[in-house]
Amino acid sequence: MNIVESVVTQIQGLSSSATDIAALHTYLKQADESLHTESARLLPFLDHLDPSIHSLGYLYILDACTSGPISEEQAKTLVLIFARFITSCVAEQIRLASDKFVSVCKRFKDQVMLLKAPMQGVAAMLSAVRKLQSSSAHLTTLHPEFLQLCLLSKSYKTGLSVLEDDIFEVDQPRDLFLYCYYGGMMCIGQKRFQKALELLHNVVTAPMSSINAIAVEAYKKYILVSLIHQGQFSTSLPKYASSAAQRNLKNFCQPYIELANSYSTGKIAELETYVQTSREKFESDNNLGLVKQVLSSMYKRNIQRLTQTYLTLSLQDIANTVQLNSPKEAEMHVLQMIQDGEIYATINQKDGMVRFLEDPEQYKTCEMIKHIDSSIQRMMELSKKLTTMDELMSCDPLYLAKAGRERQRFDFDDFDTVPQKFNI
Amino acid sequence: MDFTPLTEALSSKSYDKISDICDELMLKFAAEGIPFQDEWPYQIHLLGHIYVNDINSARFLWKSIPSAIKESQPEVAAAWRIGQRLWTRDYAGVYEAIRGFDWSQETRVLVAAFSEVYTKRMFQLLLSAYSTISIEDTARFLGMNEDDAANYVLQQGWTVDPASRMLTVKKQLIVTEQKLDSSKLQRLTEYVFHLEH
Repeated sequence: MNIVESVVTQIQGLSSSATDIAALHTYLKQADESLHTESARLLPFLDHLDPSIHSLGYLYILDACTSGPISEEQAKTLVLIFARFITSCVAEQIRLASDKFVSVCKRFKDQVMLLKAPMQGVAAMLSAVRKLQSSSAHLTTLHPEFLQLCLLSKSYKTGLSVLEDDIFEVDQPRDLFLYCYYGGMMCIGQKRFQKALELLHNVVTAPMSSINAIAVEAYKKYILVSLIHQGQFSTSLPKYASSAAQRNLKNFCQPYIELANSYSTGKIAELETYVQTSREKFESDNNLGLVKQVLSSMYKRNIQRLTQTYLTLSLQDIANTVQLNSPKEAEMHVLQMIQDGEIYATINQKDGMVRFLEDPEQYKTCEMIKHIDSSIQRMMELSKKLTTMDELMSCDPLYLAKAGRERQRFDFDDFDTVPQKFNI
Repeated sequence: MDFTPLTEALSSKSYDKISDICDELMLKFAAEGIPFQDEWPYQIHLLGHIYVNDINSARFLWKSIPSAIKESQPEVAAAWRIGQRLWTRDYAGVYEAIRGFDWSQETRVLVAAFSEVYTKRMFQLLLSAYSTISIEDTARFLGMNEDDAANYVLQQGWTVDPASRMLTVKKQLIVTEQKLDSSKLQRLTEYVFHLEH
């Protein structure tokens, strides 16, 4: 019997129990090389297998028969096979050969891109992510692939579903960088600026030994989103950011830093001129849309500032101070901000006045208590997680050896700062 | 292509579910390699997003529609016109976009349902943002003629000053239930315990 046929028979025979599958896995590892040499004639054999039963075997054969170059014509049929396999395969089986599964999924993504049909990959890639991850806190290398497909096919809403998970476990640093960057773009598109800021912040403050392009692009967007959402931007990164980021990021984003400086003057005309002169730079970075949102956020910022000084103000005065053309235009801006919950005010059309109010939230409704409760619970979870990690690290021999060695270099006075636990 | 979930949602008037159903179906058909674009009910999908006030998603959907379809199907473009007005906060323009097209049978119900929700939303906005407002503007926000608009708000307890044609808004008191149960106490105990350990 030919090698391929015997592999198929083995797969069919050994796909039911866990012990069978373990045996099959050992067998497949040995046969993998010969499968690759036969790759050209493997495709028809897939018909003899059911991806939802023979997942592991299917994965090996699919991997072998798609390892060579694929023409566009072949890609059309292959993407369907890929998609059907990914959506119907059994998670426990494919996790045994997760590297193979990842490379098959990436190949699938390449084919979908080749066909210029990113939407065709979205649903399958989401199910691939869910099958590969050991828990919802696990960031797989397929997360960024999924988010990229969502961005390209404009399925932003679908992409949000994975961004809600809190990530604690990462395989590769690059995965985290890309996940946070694409995730940030997704949230910007959905105007969830708070979450976008959080994700982009994670990129620029992540540990890095040298600067990378993802961090630079993320920093540009981070500056713009800070201005839109918070009305200000501080160039100093937090202490825990890597020194590579502290030192270099600013130099790569000069036009954006200048934009932030111009924004801080509060003068709309000045900002407009600056945007006009640097338009090309923003455009080539594909950030012009965001820059325009920065521009229009300035009216809001200036109106918000008025609420801190005045209790009531005429629409005419608002129009004058924030440089709008007419009281009617000022009224529409105020109305929009009330609608979005950005200020609390009532408009009195009869007198042409606006009365600014305090935030009506008194933090005593059941809803608010529920909200605070859930925040406290999350914080408690987090602090427990931190304690466990701290304990793990303080038992780590590598760390202890290093901490012990470095202690010699300190003065006697510094000994107190070294916790008792570290005395060996 | 099997549109059963969508037709069911439409016939049971679960309009708020339409956007999710459409998103899901679209990705499903795409994954199966079905060339769905030509027969896809883009106008329903757009209006589904608009109905739940998700203008961002409506906008991205519009951007992903092949230009041939945008040109050949006037109803799709008309549905997006509503979204466009919402996007630019052209409050009165939304009603114009609704009335400015002769909607097909199946779309008409959805448009009418949205129109109703939108009027309610606008009324709530006026309620929260104004203390006095002219009848003329009220009519524009509510998409009615001046008499109908005045009647509508007078029923909600607003008052009118005939001389200046100004309406005085009557704020509604929102009554919220304030009830605490013993589980709260339990949770507070847990917090204190956590903080002390």
